[in-house]
Amino acid sequence: MNVKFLNPFVEAAYQVLQAEARLTISRGELSLDKEPYATDDITIIISLVGQVMGNVIYSLNNQTAIALASRMMEEDLKSLSALAQSSIAELANVITGRASVLLSQAGYQSIISPPTFLMGKGAIISTLDFARLIVPLNCEIGSITIHLALREGSQRVITQGNTVVVNRFTI
Amino acid sequence: MNVKFLNPFVEAASEVLQAECGVQVSRGNLTLHKSALTTDDVTVLISLVGQVQGVVLYGLSEKTGLALVSRVMGQEFPEFDSLAQSGVAELGNVISGQATIRLSKAGYSANISPPTLIHGRGVTISTLDFARVVVPLTTELGEVSVHLALREAPPGSAPSTFVPVMVPDSAKK
Repeated sequence: MNVKFLNPFVEAAYQVLQAEARLTISRGELSLDKEPYATDDITIIISLVGQVMGNVIYSLNNQTAIALASRMMEEDLKSLSALAQSSIAELANVITGRASVLLSQAGYQSIISPPTFLMGKGAIISTLDFARLIVPLNCEIGSITIHLALREGSQRVITQGNTVVVNRFTI
Repeated sequence: MNVKFLNPFVEAASEVLQAECGVQVSRGNLTLHKSALTTDDVTVLISLVGQVQGVVLYGLSEKTGLALVSRVMGQEFPEFDSLAQSGVAELGNVISGQATIRLSKAGYSANISPPTLIHGRGVTISTLDFARVVVPLTTELGEVSVHLALREAPPGSAPSTFVPVMVPDSAKK
C-alpha cells in the first residue's frame, strides 16, 4: 500500500463531510493491517480500477450512520431506512469519487465502481494480498474508518478529447 | 439489469469450475431480487467498471468452498484458512475475468476490480439501486450462487477505450 494514496482520501472525506453534513473531521492515528477485518455495523465497499487499484472500505457503527444520514437529509431519523442506507452509500461514493479526482491530478487515473452496502457486525472481510491502511476519521457524531487496500495498477485509463471520465463525480 | 450479461457469467463459471475443479455445473432457475442479499458463509465480491458496471457476488457455503479449493490445489483443506480464502477468491476472479472477455466480444468492454472476500453468515449486502439476477449453479460439491447486479453504463459516462487487459491468444479466437 502506497501512502501517497492516503491524503487524497483524507482530503476528500474532509471536504465532502464538511459540505454534505457540516461536520469537521480530524484524522486519528494510522495503522497498517494485514489481517482480515471484522466488520462494524455498516460497511461500504467501493473498488478502484486503473492506475490505482484495489478496494476502499468505509466502516461506521449504526448510531453514527443514523446521525450522519439525519444530517444529510435534514430530518431526525430513528433507524436506517433504505433511503438512509442509500444516502450513506452515496456519501462514500462521493468521497471516493472526489478522491479519485485528486488521485488523477497526482497522476494516477482510476475509475470507481458503484458502492456495495453491507449491514451486519462481525463478518470477516479479507482483501487478500492487499494490506489495508486504516484511517480513523473522528467527528462530533462518531468515528468513520476508511480502510485503503490499494496499490499501483498497470491499467491506464484513456480519456478521449477533453472528456475526463472521473469528472462526473466532482462535487 | 440486462439479461444478456448473464450468459457470459454462466458460461465462464461452468468452464472455469470444470477446468479447475473437474466438476460439472448445472444451472438452476433464475430469480430477480431487489431486496438486499443475506450472505451465506463465504461471499466473493468483484466489481466491474466500464461499459458494463456493477457488482458480481459469488455466494457459497464454507463446505462447498473447502471442497472446491481442495480440488483446485489437490490437497485436503480441513479449515477455511487464508490459503483457502485466497483460492476461493481467485476462482471468483478467474470466472469474472473470463466473463469480461466474453462480454467484450459481445461489445461491452469492462475491467474488474481485485476480489474482496466476506466470511460470515447473515450479513446483509445491498447493491442499492442495482437489482440482482441470482443464478444458482449446482455442482457435485455443492451450490455456488452467482449474483449479478450489473447495468449498462450510461452513454458518455464510461471511457470508450480502455487499454485492454491482456487477453490470451487462445481466448481471442
